[in-house]
Amino acid sequence: MNFFLQIVINGILTGFVYALMALAIVIIYKSSSVFNFAHGSLVGLCTFFVWQMVVGWGLPLYVALFLELTVIAALAYTLQRLVLKPLTGQPLMAAIMATIALGEFFSGIVVLFWPGPGRVLPVWIKLTTLKFGPLVISSESLTNFIVCAICFAVFLLFFQKTKLGLAMRGTAEDHTLAQSEGVKVDLIFVVSWFVAILVAAIGGVLMSSLYGVSYDSLHGLGMKALAVVILGGMESILGALIGGLIIGLVESLGSGYIDPLVSGGFSEVAPYIVLLIVLIFRPYGLFGYERIERV
Amino acid sequence: MYKKPCGVFDETYAQDSALVRTGYRWTMLALFLIVLFGVLPFFAGNYLMDVMINIAITVIAVLGLQIIVGFTGQISLGHAAFMAVGAYASAMLSTHLGMSFWIAMPLAALFAGLLGIVIAMPALRIRGFYVAVTTLAAHYIIMWFILHGGNWTKGVSGLTAGEIRIGSFSFDNELKFYYLAMLFATLAIFLTSNMMRTKIGRAMIAVRDNDLAAEFMGINVFKIKVTSFFLSSLYAGVAGSLLAHYQGIITVDQFTLMDSIWMIAMLIIGGATITGAIMGVVFLKILHQVVLFGAPAIGHVFPAFAGSAVAAFMQIFFGAVIILFLIFEPRGLFHRWQITLATFRLWPFPY
Repeated sequence: MNFFLQIVINGILTGFVYALMALAIVIIYKSSSVFNFAHGSLVGLCTFFVWQMVVGWGLPLYVALFLELTVIAALAYTLQRLVLKPLTGQPLMAAIMATIALGEFFSGIVVLFWPGPGRVLPVWIKLTTLKFGPLVISSESLTNFIVCAICFAVFLLFFQKTKLGLAMRGTAEDHTLAQSEGVKVDLIFVVSWFVAILVAAIGGVLMSSLYGVSYDSLHGLGMKALAVVILGGMESILGALIGGLIIGLVESLGSGYIDPLVSGGFSEVAPYIVLLIVLIFRPYGLFGYERIERV
Repeated sequence: MYKKPCGVFDETYAQDSALVRTGYRWTMLALFLIVLFGVLPFFAGNYLMDVMINIAITVIAVLGLQIIVGFTGQISLGHAAFMAVGAYASAMLSTHLGMSFWIAMPLAALFAGLLGIVIAMPALRIRGFYVAVTTLAAHYIIMWFILHGGNWTKGVSGLTAGEIRIGSFSFDNELKFYYLAMLFATLAIFLTSNMMRTKIGRAMIAVRDNDLAAEFMGINVFKIKVTSFFLSSLYAGVAGSLLAHYQGIITVDQFTLMDSIWMIAMLIIGGATITGAIMGVVFLKILHQVVLFGAPAIGHVFPAFAGSAVAAFMQIFFGAVIILFLIFEPRGLFHRWQITLATFRLWPFPY
């Protein structure tokens, strides 16, 4: 029973990071209806860049933060202006392949500049390890949970309370209508990419505190976020949260109970099995809009 | 589609339904085949033969992808996994059960095809983007099963596959295998071209263009989607089986998600037609060789990049090429080639 509870707690805590990753994909999809397959690579790229600044160049934290924000803004603008804008109005395949190709491109850059084994980031926030009887919540997991919860709260407030958030929600509803109301749709796309890449960087740094900075695990994290988004529904922020928790739980239970039976690795595919089942029975996800489409 | 030049008329049914329609095209085809089978093998070294064999095998796989992506209009990100299924099934049949290639290959292809049907089942309810995600999930699940297949698939250490032989004749060097692979590739091109002129092929194109209208005209859309998934995986199975028996040993690293993406990239670069698919394969394989030989030179200039130059530049170039083609020439090389031909037909007059 304790083993079970421990697994559930671990799953939920990891699930919050997945939910945060999924949030990034949902933000982009909601505003520009581009499904970002490059997310995994962006997580990797941003995290390695943070490592480069903090450990590689030894910059102080606030300078690194400022630089990171600048680079992310530049990246978001470049992506939108050079790659995604020319592809407006192209078939679905073009947008999907463009983000996949971007992912390849960024993977290449990471492999080029940071070859070899993983890196280790310093620990910035040190919390105590919580113990409830036999149950243990490690300091890293607790930090992840708190940061993710804060991020979620900030983004929800941003979407609900600020004018820019309102403009983003409006753009998500209808591009043409938003533009006719004076919303700069192009700017909104850039902002949503900026937010998404920022979230990717935060998630990457958080996950690195658990597993170290390794490209494979960061990329895998981004890919699992795809499963979370499909599970939760592509337009739903609440769906991203619930989906993230479910995928985190499934993965944790899979690694606790099924991995010992099949010599490991099942937790890696468990999210995809859930994804397949969801696609068969509820293709638009748990909280997505049910579009009436010709099938 | 190929358009006839001015003044060429069909007078009989046989002429009307011929695959190759003018004397000029017959001559060019014959010349091409002579160069491919008669001239090239005697001037090329083993390395070039190896590249050509890889091109031939990839052409078979990409033609399968063309059926699902280009003709039926669904995106599959799991093609490399189906190749892996074909390769492993064939290798298992030949290694564990001692079957000959000529029995193992069709069985493996059939198995890959049937698995394709299973994966395609959700296609009844979903389309477009969701098919892409379904096949992505299928890729991870299939590769996990192969990796954890224990003694049957030999996990990470790689599974051996016996060599191909007819009686006492064994396809044991590059030259012999070149003929075999090219023969299969030619056969695949011929069969695909012909299939696209049958009822099933035309139904696939109808489903791609507008599935509602297709259903309205009496086409069973679900059946067509499942059939095209079956055929696509069948081609992948044949290609995988050939690859397994050519290399003699296969590992899971040879069938990554990236390989699926590269195959789609070949279709994008070539243009989604049969000729375009072949052009795309040749173009990307040449680019691959350029990077393979060019990247160490870059690593020489910038020693910091030397360790990972080949792998990194491969990804960077491929990503960039896909994006550039998507933005500047979404209809691919084949379209460009046709424009060039049309220009030269009237040259030097502008129209």
